[in-house]
Order: sequence, then structure tokens, then C-alpha cells
Amino acid sequence: MPGSEAALNNGLILGGLLFSLGLVGFLARRNLIVMFLCAELMLQGVSLTLVAFSRFHNNWAGQVFSIFSLAIAASEAAIALALVVVLFRRGNSLDVSLWQDLREPDQPPPDEDEPPAEEPPPETKWPVLTVAGRLPGHGKTTEGEGKMRGAMGEPRPVGVGREGDR
Amino acid sequence: MPVLSMNLIAQAMFAQTTSNPMWKGLVEGTSVGGMVVRALAILAAGGLGLFLMLPRRSRTEGGAEGGRFVGAILATISLVLLVTAPVSAAITAGHPASLFWPLGNVPADVIFFTCAGISLVSALMMITSRNPVYSALWFAMVLLANSGLYFQQGAEFLAASTIIIYAGAIIVTFLFVVMLAQPMGAAAYDRTSREPLFSCIAGVLMASALLGTIHFSAKTEHATPGSRSVTSLPPVNALQTVGTPAEQASRWAIGNGPHVASLGRTLYLDHYTSVEAVGVLLLAAVVGAMLITSHKVEKPA
Repeated sequence: MPGSEAALNNGLILGGLLFSLGLVGFLARRNLIVMFLCAELMLQGVSLTLVAFSRFHNNWAGQVFSIFSLAIAASEAAIALALVVVLFRRGNSLDVSLWQDLREPDQPPPDEDEPPAEEPPPETKWPVLTVAGRLPGHGKTTEGEGKMRGAMGEPRPVGVGREGDR
Repeated sequence: MPVLSMNLIAQAMFAQTTSNPMWKGLVEGTSVGGMVVRALAILAAGGLGLFLMLPRRSRTEGGAEGGRFVGAILATISLVLLVTAPVSAAITAGHPASLFWPLGNVPADVIFFTCAGISLVSALMMITSRNPVYSALWFAMVLLANSGLYFQQGAEFLAASTIIIYAGAIIVTFLFVVMLAQPMGAAAYDRTSREPLFSCIAGVLMASALLGTIHFSAKTEHATPGSRSVTSLPPVNALQTVGTPAEQASRWAIGNGPHVASLGRTLYLDHYTSVEAVGVLLLAAVVGAMLITSHKVEKPA
């Protein structure tokens, strides 16, 4: 049963939109890994197009081509990730702007807005649990409880256990 | 008196714009130019939303987050308009349709538009997310939605192998590399883009060119059905002529026989040299990756 024209049209349009999104991401992002992911997104758009054509013409050519593109994407990912690892070892960063020396010798450097400033990582706020009840001290007193807490590397909470000591 | 004259001028301008047939056609989308302008406006809205969602360094505190929110709204509007706004008259002459056409079959429509929406939204989130780990996970979502579309279009083996190979192997490898090569904290290059405006303009132009080509070639194809059938081409490979003509025809048809058996027959009868070449390519890729990563580099001081 050959596919309908509407299904072909929808598949082609979706493939074109995915390809364009991947193009924008590849041009705009600066992280090497995200750039390679965007290239894979473009391959996905093309694969969708091929499958839609395969359905419309009712033969296997599009699906076979998609399977080959899958294999080529796998080998491309292997090579690309190996290169990313080597580049990260060299530059200690995944920024693609570090490698702009690889341009043609007569080309001007690209227009960099400003040198990227490293921001400190956002502080993680861990939840603070209030002490409820007593630690299992194997029947010891609160003094042993305090020692045990010290042995666990935790500072003794201020104002807790003082009244019990008195 | 100046207020009155201004009012008169505005009234005259309004009358002129509504009486001008070209402008009216542009606004209502009934002329071909109006449809093209509408489709371009929808795509441009999507591109603007994408531009606002891309990571940028903003001057004001919290400006990037606000821009991201506005961009998400714009992109959603553009996505909805892609399905609902009538911009083409391609199905039947004089009956405007949206860029995506309804399939005329409610379950197929539901499956297609759900998967297509998930795919597009996930792709958008993937290329705008600040964290490469989230990018990889959103890409896995794109792959799952695309696998649903493959299932719907009769490519079961491809759907399964996409999930197994892409989502199971490639994405996991990406995540390993992200974990391996990620500096602590949020990197500066993940929070800025290079030339986001020009990238989005390039993307909108690309999408317009692709969609325009699809649209207008669909109309010519509709005018002469079957004029571009691939099966009517003469065989280019000697192996395509194996068997009687009836066997060849059944080999080329998708619905005949078990899916994987027919696909394997096609793959290994008609494309076996390509299969061998791809095997060699995979081997070369594995050896090359090992060679590249095992090479010691000395760090510049």
C-alpha cells in the first residue's frame, strides 16, 4: 500500500524543520559536544525524510539508506568523541573558540564579543536536618553520644545536648 | 483642527489598505504571495523565539531568564500556527491548508502530531539548554519520538535499531564524554552563543527554502501523479535483476512478507557491496578512535 501524499508532505516538513534546528544549534553553540549533537540532529532530519520517501514510493531504498546513515553516524560519533577527548586534554576546555587558530591563514579572526568570564559554580544549598531524638548509643549516656557524634566527623550542634549535660 | 485632519488621514489610509486587493490578499492569505508571507512570518516568529531562547549574556540581572520565557512562548505560538494557520492551497485548489496536512485518519493524525510535537519541542530544548547533559537527554527524547514516526511509516526495523544504536549506544557515549570532560560548575561557553542572531537568520532561511521547495514541488507532483516514481527507473545494479520480474516486484514492495526478512533480502541482495563498505568503515572508525585517544599529548605549560 503506497503512502499518501499528506504523510509524505508531513514527513518532509518535519525533517526540514529538524534539519534547520540542528543547523542553528551547530552554528550558535560553542560547546564541542553540543555541536556534534546538533550534527546528529541534522542526520535525524534527513533520516526522517528518507523514511517518508520510502513509504511514499513503497520500496526499501529509503529505509536502506537510513540504515547506512545510522551506521555512518555511529562511526562519526566514535571519531568525533575521540577528537573531543583529545582536544579537551589539550585545552582543558570544550570551548570551540579555543581552536580558531585552525582557520585559513589569510582570514581575519572571528568577532568575539568578550572574553568568557568564568563564573563560580552556583552554591548548592543542602537541606539542614534538625536532630530528633537520640542517636543509638548502645545504652550509653549523652556523653558517649557526644563522643560518637564527634567521631563521625560532625560538629556538635550548638545548643543541643547542653541542657542534658547539666 | 489638527486632530480632525489626523483622523481624516488615518481614515483615508485605512480605506486604502482595505480596498487594495493585493494588501487584502496578503492579510487574509488568499493569494499565493499572502500565503508565502504568512508562512515566512510563522517561521520568523519561531526563529525569533529560538534567538531569545539561546544562551546569551544579558546586561540586566535575570534578563536572560525573561528572554528565555518570552522566546519559549513565541516558539510555542509558531509551532501551533504551523499546524493550524492556513498557508497553502495545495490539497484541493481553493481550500487553504496549513503547512502540515491532516492525514484524514484520526489515529494516524494523533500519533503523527504527538510524535512530531515531541520531536520539535525536544530539539528546541536540546539546542537551547545550558547544560550539555540535558542536551544529550533531550536528544534521546527526539530519537524516541522519531522512532514512533518510523513505526508509523512502516520502518519497524529502523525504529528498533534507532533506539538500540542511537539512544542505547551513541547517547550513552556522549554522556560518558560529557562526564569525563566537563569542568566543575557551569562553563562560561555554555552560557554564551556565537552570533546567535545570524545563526537564527540562517536557520529561518534554510527552513523557508526547504519548506518552499517541498510545497511547490508537492503541487507539481500532485498535478502529474506517478511521474517521478523511483521504481520505474531502470536498474542500475546487475543484482537488481536477480529473479523473475514477479520476484523483483515482490522484493521491492514493503507490505509483502515478513518485514525484517524482506529488508534483509533487499539489503544483502541489492546493496551487499555497500554493506561490506559500511563494515570496513565501522572497523576503520573503531581503530581510528583507539589510535586518536591513545596518543599521548603533552600539555602546553
